[in-house]
Order: sequence, then C-alpha cells, then structure tokens
Amino acid sequence: MFVTFISKIISLAHLLTIQNISKAYGSIQALSNVSFEVPEGSVFGVLGPNGSGKTTLLGILMDVLIADSGSYSWLGGMPNADARKQIGSLLETPNFYHYMSAYNNLEITASIRQRGLSDRDAVLKQVGLYERKDSKFQTFSLGMKQRLAIGAALLGNPKVLVLDEPTNWLDPAGIAEIRELIRTLNRQGITIIIASHLLDEVEKVCTHVAILKRGQLLVNGPVNEALRQEDNIEVRANDMSALQQLLSAMPGIVNIRSNDGTLQLTCADNITTAAINEYCSSKGIVLSHLLLRKKSLETKFMELTNK
Amino acid sequence: MGALLAIEWMKIKRYRTFWVLVGLFMLLLPVWNYEIASGVMKFGSDAKGGVNILSTAYSFPDVWANLGFWGSIFIIFISILVIIITTNEFQYRTHRQNIIDGWDRAAFFNAKILVVLMLSIAATLFLCLTGLAFGWSFSGSLAHAFDNFQMVGYFFLLSLNYLGLAFFLAIVVRRSGLAIGLFLLYNNIVEHILKSVLNHFSDMPIGNFLPLQASDELLPFQLMQMMKSMMPASAISSTTYALVTVGWCAVYYFAGRAILLRKDW
Repeated sequence: MFVTFISKIISLAHLLTIQNISKAYGSIQALSNVSFEVPEGSVFGVLGPNGSGKTTLLGILMDVLIADSGSYSWLGGMPNADARKQIGSLLETPNFYHYMSAYNNLEITASIRQRGLSDRDAVLKQVGLYERKDSKFQTFSLGMKQRLAIGAALLGNPKVLVLDEPTNWLDPAGIAEIRELIRTLNRQGITIIIASHLLDEVEKVCTHVAILKRGQLLVNGPVNEALRQEDNIEVRANDMSALQQLLSAMPGIVNIRSNDGTLQLTCADNITTAAINEYCSSKGIVLSHLLLRKKSLETKFMELTNK
Repeated sequence: MGALLAIEWMKIKRYRTFWVLVGLFMLLLPVWNYEIASGVMKFGSDAKGGVNILSTAYSFPDVWANLGFWGSIFIIFISILVIIITTNEFQYRTHRQNIIDGWDRAAFFNAKILVVLMLSIAATLFLCLTGLAFGWSFSGSLAHAFDNFQMVGYFFLLSLNYLGLAFFLAIVVRRSGLAIGLFLLYNNIVEHILKSVLNHFSDMPIGNFLPLQASDELLPFQLMQMMKSMMPASAISSTTYALVTVGWCAVYYFAGRAILLRKDW
C-alpha cells in the first residue's frame, strides 16, 4: 500500500515513463530495451538518424503500434486512451478525411477527444489556416496539411504535445513559427515531446534529449548534460616536452593528446585559455600557440551515433 | 455508443459517395420492381405476351418474398459502400488518427460495427416501406400486409450478413479496389462453384450454408420457389438458415475484432 503510494507520487513527477520497450519487424530490431522518463514541463527531444526507431517509439506510445515487450505509462498511470485525449499528437503524416474541410475535420478530432468545438477558430488562426477553414483537406499543400495537423494537436488545450518531425514540409518561415509556438506553449506549462533527426531543432528548443541509434538508447537526460560540449584547447611552445610535463601537473586538465607537434587539452569547465596562459608563463614557459576549439554539437551527435 | 455513432455520422454525412450509393439503392430497388410489376421488364421472351419468368406478384403477402429477393441483389450497393468507408480509413490513415486522438481500438471497431448495424436497419426499413407501397397499390388495402412478414426479418439478417462480410473483407484486405473485387467475385462466382462442389460430394446440401448463400436461401428467386414447391419439401428450414446467418455474422464480428485489436496499425 505504502509502496504503491510512493511509486504513484514518483511517477507523477514523470509525465511519461517508458520501461524496457522492444519491438522487432521480422529480423529488424526497431527498438531494444528502451527505457527513459519524460519530466513534466520539459521540451523533450527524441533524436536520432533516419531509421533509428523514433517513429516506432512514438507509434507505440500512441498505441498505433504494439510493442513486443516492455511497458509505458502516461500522466501518472491513467488508462492510455484517456491519456491520449489529453495529448495533442502529430505522427509522421497529417491524417485527415480528404473530402472534408479543415473545419469539419477538426470537429471529428474534437469529438473523439471529447472537447468542445469552440476553440476551432482559435487554433486555425494560431496555425495560419483560418482563411482556408472551409477548403477541403485534399486541396491543401503539404505545408498546409502539416499546419492543420499541428492545429488539431492544439485543440482543447492539451497537457502534452507529441510531435514527430513537426517542421517537415514547412518553409523556413513556417519552421521558425513552429519553433516559436513550441517555446510559447512550453512556457504555458505544456510538456512537449519532439522526435527529430535534426540536431539543430533539438538544440534550439529542447531542455531534455534521448538519443536513439538503431533502436538502442545511447544517452538521455538534460540537453546540457547529455550533449555536453567538451572544448579542446590547443597549445604549442618551443619546448614541447617541458610543456607537456608542466600541463600534466596542472589541476583541471583532464586529458592531453599530442598531435602534429601540438598538444590538445581536454579541460574541466573552469579552465579557460587565459588560465592556461597565465599558468604556463608563471612557470617560465612562453606559449607560441594557444587556441580554443569549440566542439560543435553536430560533431558530438555524429560521434554518438557513429560509434 | 451514441457518441461513437455520432462521430461516424460526421464522417459519412459529408461523403458524396455515401449519398450516391445509398441513393442508387433507394432509387433502383423501387424502379426495378415497378418495371417488373407493370410488365415492362421481362425475362424469358421479348415478344409481347411472351413467357415471363419474373414473378409479378406484388400484392400482399407475396410482395415480401419477391421484394426481399431483389433487395438481396441491390444490397450489393450498400456492401460496396461499407467496403469503401472502411478501406478509406486505412488508405488515408485516419484509423490511426482516431486512435491517436483518444479512441481505443475496440472503439474504432465498434463504431464501424454500429454503422453496419444502422445501414442494415435503414435498408430493411426502406424495403419495408417500399413493400407497403407496392402491396397497398396492388392489393388495394393493407388487410394482409403483415402476412409473411418474416421475410422482412430475413432481409435484415441478409443485410447484416452481406455488410458484415464486406466489413470483414475490408479489414483483412485494407485496399478498396481489391476488397470490392474479391467481394463481387465471391458473391457472383466463387460461392456458386463452392456450393456446387460441396453439394455434389455430400448427402446434405452443406454448400447452402456458405456465408452469403445461407442468407440467399432465406430469400430465393421466386421462380425457384415455385419449382421447389412442386418438389418434395426441403429438409432444411428457414429457421436453420437464419441461425446459420447469425452464426456467420458472429464469425465476422469476433474474427474482425481479433484482427484489428492485435495487429499494428
């Protein structure tokens, strides 16, 4: 009794808990033993190259696909169908009744989610489709279909948004708009889960990230931890061996690699180029070369996913 | 249940194909029968006053069996409609969207089952009204209107069977062209072959119990009925065929449900 009470309290802090989910399509293992938690209030990025299992994972979480093993629980363990009514979701392609107008399609969405019809105008305005609300879905361009799908996800003030590649098919202005919308909604307290193969997208909007590669979870956690940027500092001096000896004794230097007559230093966060310069000159070594190389997230992402 | 049906109605009421196919059923069933009843349309001889094998009995109570047979032909329109509205959901992936938006799979399945049920009821009501109109104008009164009225009940079971099989095929095949092709092929050709083969090699006419045939036996072509009445009475009663029909409907329901609930969408 007490244990279930405690575990309920713990799971409340997590909006979504995923435990050991695996799924195979024939001989292809799409997901193997994926577990992580999505904290309430976060913008959670599920990042990975094409074919890494992002869409399969979201499909399972929305019950359109069935996992071979493992479990998940939404919103503190409420029945999944009820939870989905409070989740605005956009998976892969925008799916609507082709012969119906945007407005009437939203009537169906709102009815299934047991929401009133009153905010249809508002969401259509929010995604810039209000003028086309009476046009049939089949007359929409891909970008407009995507906008309508985002609008449908916003119906009835959802607690959570699940977006699979939300900026697909949008023009640059549209992409910027959606990013801004995501930030605004998150500030209003909505938790947002985004799957993307675009690191840039995750870097710009996410607070947390899980990186998938061929169905395996590589890392997950807050973006600044999971994708920590380790800076390299390059140094040269006339007497390289003395320099190497000196720096290996310096506190805060994690690793030293010699490369092409240059030393590459991996340092703790508090070590700056100025500190190194000062330390060396105080020990009587004059640096002939001192350079900070910022490792881009891109490189980090490639490293993670190409291992 | 009412909510499920209300949402299904939102989907189909704005679908032109729905109105066209329902309209064809509602137009062609009375027009076709009116042509036969008034002797304009004949099978058997082109010559005026020639032999006509079509029954022109449209007064009470014969109208029910006669109209019921033709209903079993025209229900094909509604069967095709069921296939189209079901496969559309798969083709445009709106079945997934319904789940994503908060239905569970059983809700999606039950909603479509309710549509099948409602269409069967509506087709039966329409047949009933058409029968009353024909019977009244040919009999001059409604005195024997409800004699032999079980035929209307048989037509309801037949509709449920046809639309149920159409729905089941749509779930299994998921593509509208293929499902419609298979349905028509089965109804018009394959079942006749199977029936003949089964009945040829068995003492009991078990071929009559095939999915659609079981219901067709409830509402046979009227000339056949006349010929049969000259032969020894059939060992199999209409009640048996009615029960077999209900059995097939249960098969569509449980097998269709199992398929939809277990597979990836």
